[in-house]
Amino acid sequence: MPPVIEARDLTKRYGAVLAVDRVCFSVEPGRIVGLIGPNGAGKTSILRALLGLTRYEGTVRVLGRDPWRERAGLMREASFIPDAAVLPGWLRIDRAVDFVAAVHPRFRRDRTRAMLAKTQIPLHRRVRELSKGMRTQVHLALAMGIDAKLLVLDEPTLGLDLLARRAFYDALVEDFMDESRTIVLTTHQVEEVENLLTDVLFVDRGRIVLDGSVESLATRYAALSVDPARLAEARALGPFYERRSLGKILLYYEGADRAALAALGELHAPDVADLFVAKLSGGAP
Amino acid sequence: MIRFLWLIRRELWEYRAAWILPAVIGGLLVLAASFGHVDVDIAGARPGPDALGGALLFGFGIVFLFVMLAYSSWYLLDCLNADRRDRSILFWKSLPIGDAQTVIAKLATGLIAIPLIYFAAADVTTLAIAFIVSLRARAWIGNAMWHPGQWLQLQALWLYLIATLAIWLLPVAGWLLLVSASVRRATVLWSLLPPLAAVWVERVLLGTNWVGRILAIRLVDGYPATAFHDLSGSLLGAFGFPGASRAAAPASVWALLAPLRFVAAPATWAGAAVGAVLIGVAIRVRVRNVDP
Repeated sequence: MPPVIEARDLTKRYGAVLAVDRVCFSVEPGRIVGLIGPNGAGKTSILRALLGLTRYEGTVRVLGRDPWRERAGLMREASFIPDAAVLPGWLRIDRAVDFVAAVHPRFRRDRTRAMLAKTQIPLHRRVRELSKGMRTQVHLALAMGIDAKLLVLDEPTLGLDLLARRAFYDALVEDFMDESRTIVLTTHQVEEVENLLTDVLFVDRGRIVLDGSVESLATRYAALSVDPARLAEARALGPFYERRSLGKILLYYEGADRAALAALGELHAPDVADLFVAKLSGGAP
Repeated sequence: MIRFLWLIRRELWEYRAAWILPAVIGGLLVLAASFGHVDVDIAGARPGPDALGGALLFGFGIVFLFVMLAYSSWYLLDCLNADRRDRSILFWKSLPIGDAQTVIAKLATGLIAIPLIYFAAADVTTLAIAFIVSLRARAWIGNAMWHPGQWLQLQALWLYLIATLAIWLLPVAGWLLLVSASVRRATVLWSLLPPLAAVWVERVLLGTNWVGRILAIRLVDGYPATAFHDLSGSLLGAFGFPGASRAAAPASVWALLAPLRFVAAPATWAGAAVGAVLIGVAIRVRVRNVDP
């Protein structure tokens, strides 16, 4: 199967500011990709370029289309939830469903209805009368009704409380995901999505600093809780990041000799959140 | 086509005033007709019942027409701006609707859907008022408002106005849409300042007034002169309005409409061409309209 997304030298400038700098990546079908980076790293610019919402330099193909030239066509097969609550306040929930059903050829009203039925949301209310969590639920239910090959989420849980965030991601995995679909999402709350993701792209200052499947991270990277007596030896093996936590010294390595490391202390696979911190504060990518 | 009607429907959900306002005006006029008292004494003569009926129909139509023109202008100026202010443009653009389609639907809402709503409201209002007035003033007005011919004339006049104004005002609508899509806020100011500045600059630099004259033709006197035969006074006369030049009055509204002259007038199509260009630019701006 061809990749769902292919970006080559994707670049986005706002005036003199370079928001995205010659980024290259591709996404295969069936993956859940986290675009992870600090605020202002260029995540949203990348997503908007992928969806044809903003102009860019470079070559981008999404579901075989040029997003900038074919946004409306692309949106037949892709759906997009930008950060919480961009549904207009005046829109009634039942009418939102009617409208999307009328303009979207791949919308299945019964799916959205079923999802909304599981919530407490009154359908005859306007969006402005709902809480932030409810608005996000409505938007997710609308997006779920679309039989989309690609779902793009931009900080979808921003401003939601813990319960609403958990409910959002549960619904995402249960009601949407299967092997023929692809999800790309941005977040800066890595811990919340790390069990969900199959792939990560770390973005920092407009560039990709790490790109790989979550499984591959465990073999590529190692975290060593070093025996303090052997710190000098461990440092000699070239960690890219070092931190102290609860009296322990943790060293992070990329592609290092595991046998050699194991002799110096306790070795474990770093989780995505640790790697994120290590990569983004640890100097050279 | 059905899809397009849904896009227009969406506009009317957002701009509820498009139908609430004419409903309120109609309601007020009906109230006034039910409980009000008007001493009709125009130009010293007490008009006959026919004249009064015609004058009422015509007068109400004028009220609706002018409120409609004002509201439609406001709508066109706001419709590409509102969803950028509340960021819901991100939602609308996540649907498979092309930007050209969006802009054309908004144009059709402002130039056709809203005028039709006002037309319907004016009709319902005049029907209700005719009924009430007939009941209250049976003694002398009788069924004067129930000249079927006059009623039909009014329908024709409305539809003719809507059709011809939609073409005549294309450049105005295009300009309003372009401003709506281009500026972040203060749309009213931005819609007025550039044309006024152009008039002023021309006057200062060249001492001429071509821009002002073109604007005046488009907005004030060009339309009645192009779409109607001798409108001054005679339209009032056609409805039996007292004081209007009865001598010059044609027998009916039909004689006033000048569809052939309107279609043949260069000003009609020059304006439409300018309108098409402005609308095209508005679409191009809309395509880039996401970044806040």
